[in-house]
Amino acid sequence: MMSSRIWLVVAAALALALFLPPFLTPGLDDWCTRLSTLLLVAISWNMMANAGLISLGHAGFWGLGAYTAALFANATHMPFWLSFAPGMLIGALFGVALAYLTGRLRGLFFAISTLAMSEALRVIALMVPKLTGGAEGLFVVDEIRPDRTTLTRFALCLSVGAIAASYLLTKSRYQFALRAMRDSESTVQMLGVNPRLYRAGVTALSGALASCAGVISAWYTGYLDPHAAFDLKITITSQIAPLFGGLYTVAGPVLGSIAILTISELTRLHFGYSAGVGLLAYGIILVFGVLVMPSGIVGLAKRWRMKMGRLGAAATSRA
Amino acid sequence: MTSLIIQIAVDAFLLGGVYTLMAIGLSLAFGVTRIINFAHGEVVMFGAYAAFFGFALLGVDPLISLPAVAVLGGLGGYLLFKSSLDRILSDPGINMVLLTFGIGLILQNLAVVMWTGDERSTTPSYAFASWFLTDDVVIAQGRLIAFGLAVVFVLGLLAWLRWSELGRATRAVSQNRAAASLMGINVHAIYALSFALSSAFGAATGAIMSFLLPITPFMGFPILIKAFAIIILGGMDSIAGTVIGAFFLAFVETAIAYLVPSGIGWAEGVAFFMLVLMLLVRPNGILGRAGREA
Repeated sequence: MMSSRIWLVVAAALALALFLPPFLTPGLDDWCTRLSTLLLVAISWNMMANAGLISLGHAGFWGLGAYTAALFANATHMPFWLSFAPGMLIGALFGVALAYLTGRLRGLFFAISTLAMSEALRVIALMVPKLTGGAEGLFVVDEIRPDRTTLTRFALCLSVGAIAASYLLTKSRYQFALRAMRDSESTVQMLGVNPRLYRAGVTALSGALASCAGVISAWYTGYLDPHAAFDLKITITSQIAPLFGGLYTVAGPVLGSIAILTISELTRLHFGYSAGVGLLAYGIILVFGVLVMPSGIVGLAKRWRMKMGRLGAAATSRA
Repeated sequence: MTSLIIQIAVDAFLLGGVYTLMAIGLSLAFGVTRIINFAHGEVVMFGAYAAFFGFALLGVDPLISLPAVAVLGGLGGYLLFKSSLDRILSDPGINMVLLTFGIGLILQNLAVVMWTGDERSTTPSYAFASWFLTDDVVIAQGRLIAFGLAVVFVLGLLAWLRWSELGRATRAVSQNRAAASLMGINVHAIYALSFALSSAFGAATGAIMSFLLPITPFMGFPILIKAFAIIILGGMDSIAGTVIGAFFLAFVETAIAYLVPSGIGWAEGVAFFMLVLMLLVRPNGILGRAGREA
């Protein structure tokens, strides 16, 4: 019954994602697309974190997806939706490569190697101008770009799919292995789970999701350059959203993404486009999140519900 | 050709000194506390700004203001540790990463808001002067000064660790936290001390960078990445390893910048490629003592 209800929710969300975009104002439309990309990277980051893998290299997946899709589309003039296939595939392959390269590296060392790999990709994008256009950037051929509404529909549907995928993952038996890997990979190995295989699986899935966000952004802006595509800001937002919403949960990245985007809009309304203020707000959220509410919005909600539950129980004197 | 080789060697050696400065503070704090301070680059940046304002407003040479900048940096590091990290020492490692990352983000963007993203630099006479060793081998004076200070810092730190009572306690904590604690060493105080020292080194490095690099709010992050690469190349946990890693990176980068076509652009990425390569062939660093599960 549980599973049939979840399919109903997914179907309703998809219907909404398809139905809503034509009625959105340009501002809201922009917000929805940015929300979808943020949701994708946030869910992807949370998925890795859930298995004990702290990524500081999500900008790498993003840029890789964006460049792959744009280059493929420019070369073959394929329809835009088809370009998600090579983009996500390369992202997944890079995820597997990452898992293989980092072997048993954990925690900090894993984090630093992801950071290095994403920076290495940026340097490559900058230094191979024949392929990527180098610092001058790369334009996506204009006639194959989808219109706003189509892209927003597509982006929203993809993010609904990502949420559903992360939910299904937590309900599957793999979740137990991944969560145990967070505490100790060697113990997990002793229990008969191959941590390498699981690590490769989770980095592949997570890489595909994050590259998917990159592909959306490539179609959305129609232009790529190494600094924007491999921007550290992508990595930062992809980790703030799950942290703020609630690490290791399904609802966390979703609530966190919505909250973060709302906050960034508010700071923009209040301070205009003055440099640094937006990132300053992100930094404060990050520090505040770790120090004061390490279990995020979801944790707060849970605590609040438990308190309510206790009160309710006391009132009916069933306790 | 020989003069080119000599020039590469000279440049690499001087760059190695600069890289040692960038990494030594981070390495000390990491070796003792096992926390990588992602805000270390921003500490360097604040040190550079302090030296800049000393130079621009008061006319103080960055080398004269260096001790004061270092003391301020140390105080800042101590306060930072006490107010944030000390409270979550028992949390899982992910929180340390996110917290110091967030602190770095705050410091960087405070600098953007306060001082804008414009490039600045201090301009003492030695910043632009150089000596000619032969007709075509040049030694930049600023870098030579940085190299000399790197030597002084490293020797000072090693001597302190080896012979002072606090230094011995610091080494003890770095080797075995629990045993050190049983011997009556206040582990938290040693953590705070090593963080303060690390930040003092960072700020002093900033004062030196003020006449070597353009000063911007964003200068910290590339420095941090270089420092990471160096620490991993060197094997993570020893000052000697850090120095070796710094010179190794400097030699490879300089050789590529001189010998490969459009090598200056590639040299920027050498640190990352070497990091990845290192993880593949020798994940425990050149000296090979790093823990795999940390």
